[in-house]
Amino acid sequence: MAAPFDVQHATDETRLTIRGSLDINSAPALAEEIDKIVATKPAKVTVDLGSLDLIDSSGVAALVKLYKGVRGGGGAITIAGARDQPLAIFKLLRMDKVFNL
Amino acid sequence: MVATIRLSVPGMLRYRAIAVRAVAEAARLVSGSTVRDPKNPTLDPLSHDVRHPFDTAVVSAFMEIFNNVAIHAYQRKGGGEIEIEITPSKDAIVIEVRDDGRPFDIDDVAPLATELDEESLPEGGMGIHIAKTMLDEMTYEPGPPNLWRLYKRLPVTQVAVGRS
Repeated sequence: MAAPFDVQHATDETRLTIRGSLDINSAPALAEEIDKIVATKPAKVTVDLGSLDLIDSSGVAALVKLYKGVRGGGGAITIAGARDQPLAIFKLLRMDKVFNL
Repeated sequence: MVATIRLSVPGMLRYRAIAVRAVAEAARLVSGSTVRDPKNPTLDPLSHDVRHPFDTAVVSAFMEIFNNVAIHAYQRKGGGEIEIEITPSKDAIVIEVRDDGRPFDIDDVAPLATELDEESLPEGGMGIHIAKTMLDEMTYEPGPPNLWRLYKRLPVTQVAVGRS
């Protein structure tokens, strides 16, 4: 199975695209990637969830970790494109407001 | 006609997708939802299955309960089965999940912060909250076997659609 995410580093932005299902089985691999991203103290991170079909609480926890990590390092983070089930989960957790979805 | 679907999987996260697939298909029997874009199937058909709000609620809740059983009851080590009984009817679904692992202390689950901001964004403990909120009813009885009972009704306005 292909990795459910990829990371592109540009000079002014780090872009993380997450696809398919971000759940308890796929979140640990993403968490490792998140640690790497946060360690670089990026000025701007964009997370594209347009291709994300399903998320569970483990997936949400990974995104929260990224969000807090980037903000804690003084960077800006945009989470964009959430739809269907993942959007319903963010709304249920009232994270849609914090994440500006 | 009310019929019950029974599935037993080893109590490990490895088998989660099989159980989630069965629940998603059963939810679709109730909601009547169809594949949104049959001409453009992806590698994972499940990605098309969970669009309808009813399916979203049922699948979201079930995923969290399966995670909970595999992680807390079976401590990520397996050693027992997860018995799943799904009963889809015309306007509702009942899912019973049984395990023989450690009982879970559901009263120990802290509620989410009422005012959510950057500081209070949770990094854990969301699973039970998600399941409970997505469903009309959820009960837990410690065992053995431990029993989770999940109940979701199709909203009245959607029953007719579900039958068409």
